[in-house]
Amino acid sequence: MEKKKLKRKSRFWSLVTSVPELSILILLIVGGYLVMGFASKVQGTEILSPTDIWLIIVGSFLISTAIAILAVIGGIGGGVIFTPIMLGFTSLDSLVIRATGLVVAMFSGLISTGPFMRSKLANIKVVIYCGFPITVGAILGSVAAIRLHNALGLVGDGIVRLSLGMLMIIIAYFLFTGGGKTEYPEPKHIDAFSAKMRLNGSYWEESLGKVVNYHLVRAVPGGIMFIFLGFIAGFFGLGGGAFLTGTLNLVMMAPVKVAAACSGVLLAISNATAIWTYITYGALIAVFAAPWMLGQVVGGILGAHLLISIRASFVRKVLIAILLISCIKLVLRGIEEIFGIDIPII
Amino acid sequence: MKDDSLKPPLAGVIYGEIVYWGLLISCVVVIVGSVLSFLGNSYVPVSYWLSTIWKGESVAEIWKGAVGALPNGHWYLDHLSKGDALTAFGISLGVFPVIPGLLLCGLTLLKEKEILYGLLAIGCGIIVIIGLLGLVPAT
Repeated sequence: MEKKKLKRKSRFWSLVTSVPELSILILLIVGGYLVMGFASKVQGTEILSPTDIWLIIVGSFLISTAIAILAVIGGIGGGVIFTPIMLGFTSLDSLVIRATGLVVAMFSGLISTGPFMRSKLANIKVVIYCGFPITVGAILGSVAAIRLHNALGLVGDGIVRLSLGMLMIIIAYFLFTGGGKTEYPEPKHIDAFSAKMRLNGSYWEESLGKVVNYHLVRAVPGGIMFIFLGFIAGFFGLGGGAFLTGTLNLVMMAPVKVAAACSGVLLAISNATAIWTYITYGALIAVFAAPWMLGQVVGGILGAHLLISIRASFVRKVLIAILLISCIKLVLRGIEEIFGIDIPII
Repeated sequence: MKDDSLKPPLAGVIYGEIVYWGLLISCVVVIVGSVLSFLGNSYVPVSYWLSTIWKGESVAEIWKGAVGALPNGHWYLDHLSKGDALTAFGISLGVFPVIPGLLLCGLTLLKEKEILYGLLAIGCGIIVIIGLLGLVPAT
């Protein structure tokens, strides 16, 4: 018991000393929120008091931090958790949710880019090869989202909720099947194009205590799939990290940790492309999105450092449960909005 | 024993470091912007933003009530002394490093004679710039 406590304490202090910028950032955020709480000049409205407003901001930051840690360890984007829950369980405008969802999806990936590149878990050639098609898809997806929203209004939102609900089932399946069996996939045959692209690499696997070598295969179908995955990310505002990890791991045969790290970097690139469409349209309300961004940055750093030393199977189970609950609610709300009916469940 | 082959490639490190430190700087800007908004120095009051979002108003309704019309562009650049605009600028600043990161990563790959990957990285950067400039119209 004492040993465990000491080990936890030393791991905490090693994180503080090895990533001092994280400690400084957390101190700045805490200081900022205290100033916002004690010196606030925000006026109340008929539905929100000044205290409510402060609690929404601080609560959003804390929830966002937790989502980021779970998401990075599970190898998915935080948007896959945030967007379905918000679209399913709140009445906030769907474009505001999707724009904020991109922030949530993107910033944990962006901030974990540095540690993943330094640890060599993310392979720069894989990132660049898949990054080109994914950015094309992302920009088209974001433009399609705003056009559909403007053209179809509430019915359009219903279609988004219903299709996202069904997508969640597939993501949960990807997470469910992406476990131990494919942790270190060994392709039987490397196709000529993948060999020519030299999509190979190696990394130090802490849990095995040895170097793991790998070579990605099926570069052509994988590349085509990334256009579609970029479109999904830009359209739904959720990053689609689970699909990216699944495609890299199950289709292109990357080790699961490499797939998770590359997907984090890739979803940051695709969402960084898509989010500009939402920003210039005005769908990103900064005051609302800011605590979600800060939470993703803090949680993203913590998650990236934890990922290097732990196995992700438990986190996957938690994420599958969250996704399945969200998907039921999304499908029900989608049907309600499309057909204008009321389903009295939940 | 870890060996030299595990040394991360320079292009990856350059991309990772630019994005990482750019994002941390943007976080400081976002914190300052958020604090300023709560201290009353805001282009549109914080309570208005959050109440209208909470009520489920559409993006068009929110902006119409705030300033009369949708911004359709980088509105925050004209109001950087205001907290909410500075917060929006900070978030954009956090996204922006992807562009120089990809371009410099591409140039490094070209220098290392990785021509195809270098060009692909620069191509990615150009696509992100197209998004930034709003060259694919959403409305």
